[in-house]
Amino acid sequence: MSRPVAKKAAAKGEYIETDSGNKVSRRSAITGTANITLGGRTVIMADVVLRGDLHSTRPTASSSGKEGTPTSISIGKCTVVSTGTVLKPPCRMSRGAPNFYPMKIGDNVFIGPNCVISAIAISSHVHIGANVTIHPFAVIKENVKILPNTVVPSAMVIAPGSVVGGRPARIVGEVGEGWGVSGGGAGGGLGVGGGGEEKWVEGGDLRELVRSIR
Amino acid sequence: MAQPFPYTYYACDCYDSNGTSSTKRASQLLREAEEDERTFDPRSPRANYSLYPLEHLLYCEDCQQVRCPRCIIEETLNWYCPSCLFEVPSSVVKSDGNRCTRSCFSCPLCTSPMQTFSLDTTGESAPPFILECQYCRWSTLEIGIEFEKGQGIAAQLARLGNGGKHIPTNKERDKERERRKEIEGRKARDVLSPSTESTNTDADRDDEPPSHDDLFSNLTAFYKSQVDAQTPSNPFSSHDINFSSPSAYSRIMNLYSTTGSKKNKRSKPSAMREAASSLEGLTLHDPANEAAAIERIKKEGWGVTLSPAQKHAQINPNVRFVDQLRPLATLLCTKRSKRCRSCRQILTKPESKMTSTRYKIKLLALNHIPRLSIRALNATPPIPVASRPADSFDYNALKPGMPSHFLLHLSNPLFDPIKVTLATPSTTPGRVQSRVTILCPQFDVGANTDIWDDALSSSLSPMRRGSQLPDQAPQIEAGKIWDRGRNWTSVAVEIVPGFTDAVGSDGQNELEEDEDVLEIPIFVRIEYETDAGADERGLGDSRGSKGEQEKREEAFWTVVGVGRIKG
Ligand SMILES: [Zn+2]
Ligand SMILES: [Zn+2]
Ligand SMILES: [Zn+2]
Ligand SMILES: [Zn+2]
Repeated sequence: MSRPVAKKAAAKGEYIETDSGNKVSRRSAITGTANITLGGRTVIMADVVLRGDLHSTRPTASSSGKEGTPTSISIGKCTVVSTGTVLKPPCRMSRGAPNFYPMKIGDNVFIGPNCVISAIAISSHVHIGANVTIHPFAVIKENVKILPNTVVPSAMVIAPGSVVGGRPARIVGEVGEGWGVSGGGAGGGLGVGGGGEEKWVEGGDLRELVRSIR
Repeated sequence: MAQPFPYTYYACDCYDSNGTSSTKRASQLLREAEEDERTFDPRSPRANYSLYPLEHLLYCEDCQQVRCPRCIIEETLNWYCPSCLFEVPSSVVKSDGNRCTRSCFSCPLCTSPMQTFSLDTTGESAPPFILECQYCRWSTLEIGIEFEKGQGIAAQLARLGNGGKHIPTNKERDKERERRKEIEGRKARDVLSPSTESTNTDADRDDEPPSHDDLFSNLTAFYKSQVDAQTPSNPFSSHDINFSSPSAYSRIMNLYSTTGSKKNKRSKPSAMREAASSLEGLTLHDPANEAAAIERIKKEGWGVTLSPAQKHAQINPNVRFVDQLRPLATLLCTKRSKRCRSCRQILTKPESKMTSTRYKIKLLALNHIPRLSIRALNATPPIPVASRPADSFDYNALKPGMPSHFLLHLSNPLFDPIKVTLATPSTTPGRVQSRVTILCPQFDVGANTDIWDDALSSSLSPMRRGSQLPDQAPQIEAGKIWDRGRNWTSVAVEIVPGFTDAVGSDGQNELEEDEDVLEIPIFVRIEYETDAGADERGLGDSRGSKGEQEKREEAFWTVVGVGRIKG
């Protein structure tokens, strides 16, 4: 249909690729770049907002700038942050002033489009659907699936292997034992595996997905 | 439906077999399917219990069958709190119940986790503390509870009733019960000579009707006394047995002799009776209570009552109003191993350590049966790139009567090449009848050989058609596959979505929920030859020695959810 349009966008170079293979969209909005670490082969899509400027203002930074820049967002390997998603480190008032805490995201995490994420930690092999809101200080453990349109309340801990959904989020099930196992390579992704290029499944290794994004 | 289109579900055989030990072979199953012209109906009420996503299915290598959650048995390895992730020993689960005792609470209104906050406004966290839900802002202040310490909330809450009242401990309850029993006994004696002094002081304490917890503790005490009375000297009660003591010895001997001891003369055990008073745990109906509740609803409206879900979540079943709510201690979860129900073979066994998410044993169906998936032919690969919305095919708006092409993609996890036969009813079951034609129902799929072979060949592969070369018109030919790779093959499917408004013809005009969902039952049969001993040595070895070849087949129903018809 409008395939040529997509081709044109790709020709312009939608993504800037770093030495470690991170792909960052030119149309993403990243502030405080120095406070953000990407683990390699991680994708930041268009219209993603990374608030690296919201870093901890605790003594480390104020006493001397030489102690190194504080990290506000660290993202692991082969993680995909889809379009329109906002990552904002969680904040807590302390002594009348807001203090931000660093956000940590693991490897092979898929974050769907138009999410607002303020979790303190998201472990590896987590799949987050579209339009999900994660309130401050939530902890998402390994192999968790968050259904689309879920609101995860603040400080909620989601145990490994859970499927959560709803507003507020509740545990609605467990991911199967086969979660993240692609079984002989080619697989579904979002239930689909067309021309053989989608060799990834939810919760699995996202390397192939990352490779296919151009 | 939560699952986004398109999706594939796999049906486990156990849906129509009475015994779970069915060992129907594939050919048999196929024959049955053909003879009965029985197609799997995804809309039948039973289908709900047999359709699973592939990652939820296990595989028993002994039975050579797929195993679904219905045909496995589970064994609890350990208990843990999903909120603080601490393991709870089973002895504690037995004594304290299936809830976390580590101050993990969820909101009684909305189920969100509750956090401890200090009410102190000077900045430092000083008492008093409260539990508050950050989602709906309900807090223990609404039930009049504040805590003195920020730690050990569970223990403090156990002692604090709503409104800050003291909740007696079990010991205190026992004492109180004894005291009341004594008073009652005295009252009975004092009928002849009533002493006004003593009854007055007692009346003060008797104002409050006993709480649910009081009654429960009374009832357990009563039952315990009943059981004890029944077996006055139970020789097997663990606490007082001592085989070296002569008394214990004589007690055991008494058990065997029918006559002799006084106690055993009562050969007919007196029937156990039920609780007869509130001191024995009987719940007395108080009409005044009901009247008060009705009055309250009249005055304050439904707003002060609870939703059924909120009511059911409470431990006390008699809770009715918002001011009776209690924060809910988090329910524990379990780690479980799973066995085949027919042969008891262990299918999965997670590492028992709480911190580990690994498995010691994991026999997955997706390593034994092919993965089937569908997508629209003209859709781009499903990379979730919302920046290219124009490209994405709208699976939620299939046009009725418009023939459209889809690709059915089959990938093979086995180390042997497989022959695949697909079958599907020409029209989908149900009232909205869509026509389905698989253009190439018989084809081969390559073996799941070394991943590196594919890595090398994929860059050179000239076989990509259609999706990669948009200029070249896709060729859809009956009897020919669409595309293939190392261990996958895709074939074209022509689908003519049915008319949703045609439903009206049989009298009922209303389209029921999800009746406009286009789901296609597809029967998959695979045949392959494999090294007969491969299973015992593990799948990885199968290519090493070419020993005896064994013919195997596998057959199962799948249901492919294509999309929603919008006419
Ligand atoms: Zn089953
Ligand atoms: Zn807990
Ligand atoms: Zn709440
Ligand atoms: Zn078995």
